[in-house]
Amino acid sequence: MKSLLREGVDTIFGYPGGAIMPVYDALYDYKDSIRHVLVRHEQGAAHAAEGYSWLGDKPGVCMVTSGPGATNLVTGITNAMCDSTPIVCITGQVVTTALGTDAFQEAPIIGIVTPVTKWCYQITNAAEISHIVAKAFHIATSGRKGPVLIDITKDAQLELCEYDDSVQKVALKSRHDPHYQKKLKRAAALLNNAKRPYVLFGHGIALGNAESELAQFIEKGGFPAASTLLGLSSLPKSHPLHMGMLGMHGNYGPNKLTNKADVILAIGMRFDDRVTGKISAYAPQAKIIHVDIDHAELDKVIPTSIAIHADAKEFLTQLLPLIKLRKHNEWLKAFRKLNEEEKTVVADAELHPKSGEISMAEVIRLVSEKTKGKAVIVADVGQHQMVAARYYGFETRNSYITSGGLGTMGFALPASVGAKIAGPQREIVAIIGDGSFQMTLQELGTIMQEKLSIKIIILNNRHLGMVRQWQEMFFEKRYSSVHMENPNFNKIADAYSIPNELIQDRKEIAPALDRMFKAKGSYLLDIMVKKDENVFPIIPNGAAVDEIRLQ
Amino acid sequence: MHMRYTLIIKSENVPGTLYRIAGLLLRKKINIENLYVKRVDQKRHTSHFIIEIFLSPHLMAKLIKQIDRAVEVTHAEYHRTSSQKRFVRSV
Repeated sequence: MKSLLREGVDTIFGYPGGAIMPVYDALYDYKDSIRHVLVRHEQGAAHAAEGYSWLGDKPGVCMVTSGPGATNLVTGITNAMCDSTPIVCITGQVVTTALGTDAFQEAPIIGIVTPVTKWCYQITNAAEISHIVAKAFHIATSGRKGPVLIDITKDAQLELCEYDDSVQKVALKSRHDPHYQKKLKRAAALLNNAKRPYVLFGHGIALGNAESELAQFIEKGGFPAASTLLGLSSLPKSHPLHMGMLGMHGNYGPNKLTNKADVILAIGMRFDDRVTGKISAYAPQAKIIHVDIDHAELDKVIPTSIAIHADAKEFLTQLLPLIKLRKHNEWLKAFRKLNEEEKTVVADAELHPKSGEISMAEVIRLVSEKTKGKAVIVADVGQHQMVAARYYGFETRNSYITSGGLGTMGFALPASVGAKIAGPQREIVAIIGDGSFQMTLQELGTIMQEKLSIKIIILNNRHLGMVRQWQEMFFEKRYSSVHMENPNFNKIADAYSIPNELIQDRKEIAPALDRMFKAKGSYLLDIMVKKDENVFPIIPNGAAVDEIRLQ
Repeated sequence: MHMRYTLIIKSENVPGTLYRIAGLLLRKKINIENLYVKRVDQKRHTSHFIIEIFLSPHLMAKLIKQIDRAVEVTHAEYHRTSSQKRFVRSV
């Protein structure tokens, strides 16, 4: 416990059980300094720890028992690995003598999570605890951040030991690039001489607290910039140089013009396949400068002209003085022209429908207006996630929490629990589809018990919308297992004492949102939206970025 | 085209390191052709892996970075295995 307090831990998301009971017993004595949030499923503990990490200044911590408790964490851990989210997971384990005997609730969790953690370790001796906990926190938060797991056998939990406060700082290997200064100058020269420069940024900006450095840099160089899904709120959407989102359901200009730019600077992003589309047709004309904190990401997907292994904040700070004051008005106009086309063909109609069923986009537009773009949107995975990303007007940093790399349905509700606890002063709005909601809806119990104020919006189309869209577009409308007979979500919310409304009419949306944001505690809106809505634009699977389709 | 490579990996001498490296090979469906592990420094708890695999050159350059990224690994490099200097001799 002292080891955890030393790392600044004040919250643990967890679920007790046999093999972790000695730690829970010790926790009883630390009730005043550590808040334990009892989740309803261990997957929820991992996602809550992730949500906590996104908004907090330290890693989220989750603690569960051995066997099924530990295996239930795996989805959350993998999600954290894909999105570089620092979390520390503590699992109980059977006593050392029982290891490898198929003991009750024994699972080889180190074996299971090794490929999906940054680091993991099994403690079999109490004397190791202090050092290993310090090492775990250090690894989770240094370099490219990520999940770590500590498995503690029950005998090590019961053993008494002297608390060792004199933990030596853990030294991790660092890689010094002797050509760094030269590369920095070459990058500046390329950008200064570019006719059509273009900046792509990702989650690395938020993880490296480099938002203001990014804004200064693009403003000085007059560079148009576009974001990955996880980078979205690192630059206000209203910023005149924020051209929108990259990727499969990103904006028209940013995708099309990727193949027109002459110099691309990509920072804190990893050229995910949802961003690049067909790799051989991705910006073949451009000189690409790739900056990432993870050496293994450089030249992994897209061959670069200059590969720079660096932290985003440090790099941008050093690059800024080398950048010349420039304006690229013609080039910016090209982006705006294409985005205007997208607005006319796609956005206007779905943001302001006059008749017919409610559209997801108009709900997001209203949420954005009512919260002035300042809420934290915690989105689940699917069409609603893309619509929220496209139409919410993010104005503040760290405002879009979602599952990017792994695409984990069921992420949003538990993640919003962690986010609310890390950022109690912020308005947390969970945007969830009816499919995703049913994957982790038991966490409504956690919200009730912890008396959290989370605004939950279910965009309910009675379908697995994204799969349905693909079946319509790419599988000849052979709709296979995408319709859902849903329960009455209002009755479910009632059972958890969460005020709620069912919205079926366009006119009811705005007043219901007003009531929701006025309410003190949690609130749930089940909004019936059009069932066969499609998300556009789309880069079809296997197509190039500039083959993006508006309809 | 696949080439025969020898990976030379220095790491902490702790359980699970081989498992982590093998996991990186497994996810690309790479078979281990030869394997040799030895503790090299008892005081500093370091050990030495020599692993032989078949892989295409461009994937090899990416894979070695992923192995090097592992916290336990302190150094990783690779060499083309020539026909004269087969694995057994390099051990």
